[in-house]
Amino acid sequence: MGSRLLAALSMCAMALALAYALTVGVFSIYIPIELRPLAKILVTSAYNESTPLFSSMTPEIVTAVVWDYRGIDTFFEVAVFYVAIVATAALFRGIERSAPRTSVGLSTIVRTVTRIVALMIVVVGSAIILHGHLTPGGGFQGGATIAVAVALALVAYGLAKLVEHRIDYETSLKVRSLGLLGLSLSACIALIAALILNTNAYVFQNQPKTYAPIGLPYAVDGVLISGTVLLLNIFDGIAVAAGFALLLILLSQPEDVARERVLSSEGGE
Amino acid sequence: MIEGVLMLVGSVLILVGSLFDLLAALGLLRLPDLYTRIHALTMGTIGGAVLPLIGVALVAAGWVELGSYRWYLAGAAIVTAILILMLAPAGSHAIARAAYRARSPSPSYVVIDELAKKVRGGGR
Repeated sequence: MGSRLLAALSMCAMALALAYALTVGVFSIYIPIELRPLAKILVTSAYNESTPLFSSMTPEIVTAVVWDYRGIDTFFEVAVFYVAIVATAALFRGIERSAPRTSVGLSTIVRTVTRIVALMIVVVGSAIILHGHLTPGGGFQGGATIAVAVALALVAYGLAKLVEHRIDYETSLKVRSLGLLGLSLSACIALIAALILNTNAYVFQNQPKTYAPIGLPYAVDGVLISGTVLLLNIFDGIAVAAGFALLLILLSQPEDVARERVLSSEGGE
Repeated sequence: MIEGVLMLVGSVLILVGSLFDLLAALGLLRLPDLYTRIHALTMGTIGGAVLPLIGVALVAAGWVELGSYRWYLAGAAIVTAILILMLAPAGSHAIARAAYRARSPSPSYVVIDELAKKVRGGGR
């Protein structure tokens, strides 16, 4: 009894000490006043209307670095994710179209709440994608958020119900391919325009540069869209959401259906 | 005047919420089995998360120095509170249902179990 009392007292003492430290501010974070040189460059060039040739016109600096300064780097990072999905699809080949006959799902209470919350999750994910050039977040984060809605629906309703509503392997594969195509096209959009107008341009070009005068408008009707950054975010979000949905649908195939399918394709035992 | 009242009520709500959290933690430690512990847990989420979030909304609404941003803070807190109010009972319900269907041992204090006839007789 004595040791438990001691443990309880020490826990209380720790909680009080933490509360004191958080209130009075013992854990103050050291913020340097002077910016480092790299930070100076990024802060002055990420969104600066007075130097349009050196600016990415994206107020959110992380997104500016990810999709403008180092666009090709990010493209290959995205490609690694797609290779992982392709590898999973190859592992599950042959059983991806075998939907279960019935699915039970969870109780009515959980299903009703899921129906409300899944819609809200999709809305929040879309907001994260569409504000990718203004606030922290972007295509990948928003797409992963939307995929949470698919995961919730898979648990609450079961796979057969989703397949009934055309959220299946085929649809997510098509949507993912659409997103990838859009991503590649918006990476080359300045290049295509330059080929037509017979000037120079770079791959992943966003704003006009010195020897490449082609660039996308960074604002439409006063609304900041940051050129290709918004397009890349939208298509990346679509592709990531559909890719995660594809993975979740593949991984939630019931084992008995899969085993039956594999054994029959190998000609018995 | 009204701002001071809002901040006072909000602080009281946050304080009450922390008491609920303490009670829920004690309940998780002391209660004997899964179903009663889920009761303590849900009390902790509703009383210890929804109530303080409403308190946070009131405090933010009463904090004049924040300018117009206080309405964003208050709105976000209210929306989060409503979401938790919907999600926490559904989650607890799903856990309790899964435990019942997985035939987790029935507590000794159960006198009558109406669900047993339905579940074992009529299938799902």
